[in-house]
Amino acid sequence: MADASAAAALLKREFPEAIVGTASIHGTPWLRVRTNQVPLVVHYLHTKPDLRGSLSLLWAVDHRPREARYEVLYLFALAERRDWLLLSTDLSDEARLFKSITPHIHAAQWYEREIRDMFGLIPQGHPDLRRLIRHEHWPKGTHPLKKDFPWDRTLGRQQGDYRFRHIEGEGVFEVPVGPIHAGIIEPGHFRFSVAGEPIMQLEVRHFWKHRGIEKLFEQQRLADAVPLAERVSGDTTIGHSLAYCQAVETLLRVDVPRRARYLRSLFLELERLHNHLGDVGAICNDTAYALAHAHCGRMKERIMQLNDRVTGSRFLRDTMTVGGVTRDITAQQRGEIVDVLDQIEKDFSELESIIFANASLTDRLETTGVLTERIAWDHGVIGVVGRASGIDQDVRRDRPFAAYDEIRPKVALYRYGDVRARLRVRMDEIHDSIRLIREIRLKLPDGPTAGEPGHEPRPGDWALSAVEGWRGEILYFIMAGEDGRIHRCKVRDPSFVNWPAIQWAVVGNIIPDFPLINKSFNLSYAGNDL
Amino acid sequence: MFRILKKSIKTGVVTGQHPAAQPAEGSTPEAREKARPFRRSLAVREVDTGSCNACEMEMNALANPIYDVERFGVHIAASPRHADALVVTGPVTFNMERALHDVYKQTPDPKIVIALGDCAVNCGVFKGSYGVTGPVDRHVPVDLRIPGCPPRPAEILKALEELRASRQSTEK
Ligand code: SF4
Repeated sequence: MADASAAAALLKREFPEAIVGTASIHGTPWLRVRTNQVPLVVHYLHTKPDLRGSLSLLWAVDHRPREARYEVLYLFALAERRDWLLLSTDLSDEARLFKSITPHIHAAQWYEREIRDMFGLIPQGHPDLRRLIRHEHWPKGTHPLKKDFPWDRTLGRQQGDYRFRHIEGEGVFEVPVGPIHAGIIEPGHFRFSVAGEPIMQLEVRHFWKHRGIEKLFEQQRLADAVPLAERVSGDTTIGHSLAYCQAVETLLRVDVPRRARYLRSLFLELERLHNHLGDVGAICNDTAYALAHAHCGRMKERIMQLNDRVTGSRFLRDTMTVGGVTRDITAQQRGEIVDVLDQIEKDFSELESIIFANASLTDRLETTGVLTERIAWDHGVIGVVGRASGIDQDVRRDRPFAAYDEIRPKVALYRYGDVRARLRVRMDEIHDSIRLIREIRLKLPDGPTAGEPGHEPRPGDWALSAVEGWRGEILYFIMAGEDGRIHRCKVRDPSFVNWPAIQWAVVGNIIPDFPLINKSFNLSYAGNDL
Repeated sequence: MFRILKKSIKTGVVTGQHPAAQPAEGSTPEAREKARPFRRSLAVREVDTGSCNACEMEMNALANPIYDVERFGVHIAASPRHADALVVTGPVTFNMERALHDVYKQTPDPKIVIALGDCAVNCGVFKGSYGVTGPVDRHVPVDLRIPGCPPRPAEILKALEELRASRQSTEK
């Protein structure tokens, strides 16, 4: 088992030629690597048994106008302690090529295609260079995150068709679904190749909802962009706004008061609760068990009304601010929250026994949509989906933020990776969130609810932050620009990593089970498409 | 079985247990006229053109036992071809533009278009971005606007009710 600085030292010993500089930023070791040697170094980092670095984030920064260079950055989490290690490589303004690491690390595939679309930098050796975010009607040469691309440009249109992967043969046919679906859900396109009933292949084509969020961040000041972060994925209002605030607080060196930290945990757990309750109901509904859906919908609605009463928003909007929280929760309100949750826990436990007593329901859930631990690891799958496939990861425990250094979550872990396991993880987390909220009520310290900034960041300073939202790990990378503006903001919703994995979980299942499998993943389209 | 019945009896009827909505911004007389044929039954198709998903969640909430929108004769259609009204959310992204036009064409006349949420009404926080070509009324004619970010389910209900109310009850 190696910690990150030991791992950095090891890499430096092994690859003295490749590594051109080292530093440590906010406790994260940072190695600058020669562009040509990146694949070599990451392959070692990824496969060496005592390092087992998994790719957490891969993104690029255009440093213009300050410096005429691009930088590609690779954030790894070391397997055992999940310490962060950052690698980066510089590309000069004219050199638009960098070496793809996808042949070594599967999890890099979408990230590298994203960089190609958004920056026009080309990952050499990438096995799949089709467009990802810019659908085929986007004109050539439009790379929105380049600094010379105006944020409010009106795009023209060109002709073009996406080339799906085809399977050919007798009796094989394709079933296209979407982007507009039958239920009230977000747009996305799924293309199945089937022979008879079982699915042979699924190709997910997304990014219909691309609104240009990362570019919109660049038009804002560090202190002002919380409302935008709240709307990256509306169901994860707290998760995203908290991750954003934390990164900015690191940059501005704000000391967040303990009371504010506790309240942040409280809001985050409330958000987890109403979403998980909704998901449990929706999973049951997709097996046609409408009764459980109705009960869960009722409980979820109670929590949303509770949110509305204590914060003025059903989605807990406008509660986060840089430095702390915008509203305090009185002792009476805390009592009300715990009372409602006590009732809901009892209510929910009764429902759980009804659900698991129903053999025809559980039969649909078991062995459906299995995501094996191996595939989950290869794709760097995280969050609820990861924990249902044996990936033992939870930011609240691994890298405590808010008040999680004092109130410790129990991490729900299952190994089967089927729909039932994903349902179980959610059920366990519902109970655990209620327990955490009770603990917060008892331990909530007195004091102010927001801190003051102590520092003006220099242009080029950056910070990373991670939050365990209800879907999984949310990452923000924020680089400061001139006079308090944002130079670059990389947003990573857990959905972006988990979407490619669903393509593997459905293989061998039948199409009628797809909605069920999809619901058990319940990934965000908005947070994925940005 | 016994357990299920016991649970249902214990839970009782929860429909209508929600705070009342603020008075809705009135719909225009033309929109009310257009909504005349749908007073008793309205099939709604929801189209997401790039929302943050909160507006969708509130639309979904309408179907839960608390709001139970079906009791007002409103149901969610699975296809635009079965719909009387399109509820459009989101600021219309560059990638969803065509899908919106297609759906509009596929919905049989007469039809009502409802822009739900600030995004659909005026693009909200996404206004001006290269990826956004909305708001909705730049692409298709809009009959009713329900602002809010997101509007609460009770507010959506109220706006729908007001749109479909018969003249007598709106006048009193
Ligand atoms: S109006 Fe607000 S809640 Fe609705 S989709 Fe837009 S940002 Fe989300």
